[in-house]
Amino acid sequence: MAGNKGRGRAAYTFNIEAVGFGRGDKLPDVALKPPPLFPDTDYKPVPLKAGEGEDYMLALKQELRETMKRMPYYIETPEEKQDIERYSKRYMKVYKEEWIPDWRRLPREMMPRKKCKKGPKSEKAKDTGKGASLTNTADVLKKIEELEKRGDGEKSDEENEEKEGSKEKSKEGDEEEDDDAAEQEEYDEEEQEEENDYINSYFEDGDDFGADSDDNMDEATY
Amino acid sequence: MTQAEIKLCSLLLQEHFGEIVEKIGVHLIRTGSQPLRVIAHDTGTSLDQVKKALCVLIQHNLVIYQVHKRGVVEYEAQCSRVLRMLRYPRYIYTAKTLYSDTGELIVEELLLNGKMTMSAVVKKVADRLTETMEDGKTMDYAEVSNTFVRLADTHFVQRCPWVPATENSDPGPLPLAPILVISEKDMYLVPKLSLIGKGKRRRSSDEDAAGEPKAKRPKHNRDNKEPIPDDGIYWQANLDRFHQHFRDQAIVSAVANRMDQIFRSLPVGYNISKQVLDQYLTLLADDPLEFVGKSGDSGGGMYVINLHKALGSLATATLESVVQERFGSRCARIFRLVLQKKHLEQKQVEDFAMIPAKEAKDMLYKMLSGNFISLQEIPKTPDHAPSRTFYLYTVNILSAARMLLHRCYKSIANLIERRQFETKENKRLLEKSQRVEAIIASMQATGAEDAQLQEIEEMITVPERQQLETLKRNVNKLDASEIQVDETIFLLESYIESTMKRQ
Repeated sequence: MAGNKGRGRAAYTFNIEAVGFGRGDKLPDVALKPPPLFPDTDYKPVPLKAGEGEDYMLALKQELRETMKRMPYYIETPEEKQDIERYSKRYMKVYKEEWIPDWRRLPREMMPRKKCKKGPKSEKAKDTGKGASLTNTADVLKKIEELEKRGDGEKSDEENEEKEGSKEKSKEGDEEEDDDAAEQEEYDEEEQEEENDYINSYFEDGDDFGADSDDNMDEATY
Repeated sequence: MTQAEIKLCSLLLQEHFGEIVEKIGVHLIRTGSQPLRVIAHDTGTSLDQVKKALCVLIQHNLVIYQVHKRGVVEYEAQCSRVLRMLRYPRYIYTAKTLYSDTGELIVEELLLNGKMTMSAVVKKVADRLTETMEDGKTMDYAEVSNTFVRLADTHFVQRCPWVPATENSDPGPLPLAPILVISEKDMYLVPKLSLIGKGKRRRSSDEDAAGEPKAKRPKHNRDNKEPIPDDGIYWQANLDRFHQHFRDQAIVSAVANRMDQIFRSLPVGYNISKQVLDQYLTLLADDPLEFVGKSGDSGGGMYVINLHKALGSLATATLESVVQERFGSRCARIFRLVLQKKHLEQKQVEDFAMIPAKEAKDMLYKMLSGNFISLQEIPKTPDHAPSRTFYLYTVNILSAARMLLHRCYKSIANLIERRQFETKENKRLLEKSQRVEAIIASMQATGAEDAQLQEIEEMITVPERQQLETLKRNVNKLDASEIQVDETIFLLESYIESTMKRQ
């Protein structure tokens, strides 16, 4: 290109005047390190808005933060075992209400599964646990689990239909509560199982990750 | 999603739902739609934990699911919805100003629980209100119901999509996941319920139960085993409606400020008559802010509020304000100049702003590196030779707004981290102070003497008290800052959304 003043000569490829520097002006220093973590600001920041509304929202925010921690939606991380089990810990445990989601609104796979992966033969260990609440729905639930173990898709669907039907009929009162209680116990058992370090439902023998689907779903292998 | 947004989502999820939910949520935000097992595998979490986390996230409308081909259910996170958690105090406070305490609690319960049935909300709110009332007084369910209906009528709460009732005569294969639907006309339809009852005070026996260990947890307190009349009909807060309200508020207050200025320049003692109103409107229409436009002369002229322009003005005002506070008023003058003249050369900036060349240069570059201003090249010759090209300074409002928004997300993330740091640093002291308070409270309940109370209070030394005071002040400041930055976020997001819609 014409305009090359010779090799190695420092020359700007553009009109320096256009950008505002005069010819021969000393250019500002090149920055050799990252900017400081807390740079000095030339101007003090504007004070925060203060007023009734703002104060109220502030108090709300802090209250909400505390409340959320006590709700059942806040899932605590299981702590590692402490060296000395403190006596006080037992009595300072925050009482949390158990929350059961509405399973009708969720995909089937969301429901917690019992140790049904061990094989078709083993009965659910929870049979005895459910002794008190043998309602239609609990029975049907068990039946479904067993059938699904056998991998009998069609039948389980039918059973599911039945379950849905009976669920609709028995929507009122006691049965629902017992169902909830049954579910509650399910959850309980699950949680207690998790207390130790070995997570039962994660990998079982002979449980090929991804290959054994819960519900005859054709899972894509990754 | 930008890194800044993901970081902020992570902090919010962790504060509200704990680390497990945070891990799953952030993973989904990062990777997009994924099925259950892949989530478990990629995050190294047990299937059971993933399920619980997903249940919580779905309940709170933060994750949705979809059945894909090949019978796989995939879960997708809604990053922008997660960010809305910052705004919860503002939603609740707005409900309070519009529908007083009852409305406030209704919205609060809906936000805390994600979705609830109307009967559950009414009962809970009635109980809470009863707690705050004098002894012997209770809150009637009917009153709470009325407020609920009003909230539904004005669209501040809406129904969630639900599973359409399937007839038993259609025994097709059950879907893997329910398909949830909702029609426009049903969204605000309140079910015909006759909720009769009054709020209940929490009995002291319940409070004792609070300290019991897990094993002795009492069953659900269902005083009356009544059927739930509106089972399956869930409600949620309608955030978009609140946003509309905020937007209107912002525009009204901007205009009010403007009116103030105009008002002050008018003679005193004006009675608002039709003529004067006309004049005002004309003034507004001519006003460079362009909030109000006049369209046609039918019926004396129709005035229209130009929302997009209004939002644009608000966004621009925000940008100007930030430039002013960061770089000084001279910079702000230059910024406003370039904004007004759209494109300016270096020389022209110096001339119009009447600022010496060196300073003008310096300021322009500061703003340039802050991405408030950008350079536009206009070649004089087809070969784009730099020596024969115009370089013009210009303000691209959309991209500047985006840059500022991104900065806001980073700011809030920093604020939250700092707050958590401050709290952690003083954890020991905070716990001590809580214990002392608990002791004092229980002693007061059993009727202790003042001297004893004094002794306990002195367990916290004076310097410790000062430390606590400082901590409280700092945490308050940080919290208040979060709320205010969220206001800016709202303005910028509204403007950006409005602009994108028009393209």
